[in-house]
Amino acid sequence: MKETKKILEYDALVVGGGIAGGESALNLANLGYKVLLVEKDLTIGGKMIMLSKVFPTLDCAACITTPKVSEIARHQNITIFTGAEVKRINKLGEHRFEVDVLQKPRYVNVADCTGCQMCEEVCPVSVSDEYQYGMVGRKAAYIPFSIASPRAAAIDIENCTLCGACERACPTKCIDFTQTEEEFLVKAKSVVVATGFNLFDPLKIPRYGYGSQKNIITSMQMERQLAPTRPFNTILRPGDGKMPDNIAYVLCTGSRDKSVGNPICSQVCCMYSIKQAQLLMGALPMADITIYYLHIRAFGKGFNEFYAQAQDMGVEFIKGKVGKITEKENGNLILRYEDIEAGVVKEAEHDMVVLSVGILPNQGISDVFENEKLELDPFNFVQQSDMLASPAKTSIEGVFVAGTASGPMDIPDSILSGGAASAETTSYLRRETV
Amino acid sequence: MEIEKGKTAKYLKEKRPVPKEVTEQLKSFTKTKKAMLEALKEEHKTVPELAIELNMPKDEVVYQLMSLMKYGLIEPDGIDDMDEYFYYKIKENGKN
Repeated sequence: MKETKKILEYDALVVGGGIAGGESALNLANLGYKVLLVEKDLTIGGKMIMLSKVFPTLDCAACITTPKVSEIARHQNITIFTGAEVKRINKLGEHRFEVDVLQKPRYVNVADCTGCQMCEEVCPVSVSDEYQYGMVGRKAAYIPFSIASPRAAAIDIENCTLCGACERACPTKCIDFTQTEEEFLVKAKSVVVATGFNLFDPLKIPRYGYGSQKNIITSMQMERQLAPTRPFNTILRPGDGKMPDNIAYVLCTGSRDKSVGNPICSQVCCMYSIKQAQLLMGALPMADITIYYLHIRAFGKGFNEFYAQAQDMGVEFIKGKVGKITEKENGNLILRYEDIEAGVVKEAEHDMVVLSVGILPNQGISDVFENEKLELDPFNFVQQSDMLASPAKTSIEGVFVAGTASGPMDIPDSILSGGAASAETTSYLRRETV
Repeated sequence: MEIEKGKTAKYLKEKRPVPKEVTEQLKSFTKTKKAMLEALKEEHKTVPELAIELNMPKDEVVYQLMSLMKYGLIEPDGIDDMDEYFYYKIKENGKN
């Protein structure tokens, strides 16, 4: 007998629970629309919730994100599926979308989990923690991170030994290994695509030595080291646990680089590197920080002042293109670079290198549209069909785009974009009732 | 069949045997954990000191040591004279 899918009905389906998708969902819900928010990760909050602080105000990222995430999670008009995927979207007509959603098993009844972490304590397994970008381990029974939403455990079934220790320790008996995948048929009147971005993988530039040279990390790994929920007790070199005192940033790693297939500027790397440099000078007062850049793009409100502030604090800026990074026996790194202003090739030694990785499109969403094509731009971000007059509009009427799904942008612009998407979705939904 | 709440792992185990690499990985972690805790039993040590004693690459020591710190078994215990490397010790009241 064929199992029938559960049918759900909503005014809007928001795909992606990052800051842009969350903003769209919240605005729509506040106007009385019923919203389904589908997030593939185990928690909402996207990449912003993982950051240390935001530029140029140096406000705590978690302090901004968590109240918003909490409001989204508790809103009576928003239903959230975490650990779920949109498999197919079919437009049957105006205000009529049919969507297949696959809910993967978490092996924990979220409603009953108190987040006590007793399962985590007794779990004997240790595997690489993706939420700390591989710098430390996590258990197979785990809460993704302390401010995750929902703050509930999950079982990493691929790495679980099924020893049952978590079940025995759980005071509410919320762990359930009999859970299976669930399929839903969602009938929605509109769709917001807020699927965010991917970070450039620096393994694609072998001459930089990421992966083989352990004291080279990505900007997201440094972001985690600077965050209150950091993996180490302080800022350390992953190669040997030494406190670094001479750190280099290599800007435009995987951005503005045709050779790696990403010719465009990622818009945020200059500013997040300057932010991290300032935070490092606070965390390691004796450290020297050098930023190797092509151009500093400080285009936003307060950005240039923020850049000047970093210079005043003593951050060294070198207009230079790094060609190669090699490792010395003591773990220090030699950067061979072209000093653009002097027009000569130079070498400099640092004890840690941070690669400021760029933003890439998260392309999968265009494949789930079945009978209409969600057009992508030449760089594979979602095409804004009327960028100036109607920035959230896509090639499909009733499907809107929010945040970095449409291109690289910073947090305030992502929130603005989420707001624009909700406004245009509202306008579209109102047309049904007129 | 009635499912016994709190003892459901056995049902999945019947359907889906645990892959060999998962059990091997567990054995490897347990061995490293024991060796590391043994090495820190008498006195606090830095990452390079542990790497020599355990004959383990320094980056692997950092990863495992920081994981054990996260799991509440180890804690930092001051920094060396050159202000370069932290000492780590077994956490008092750490669950082992």
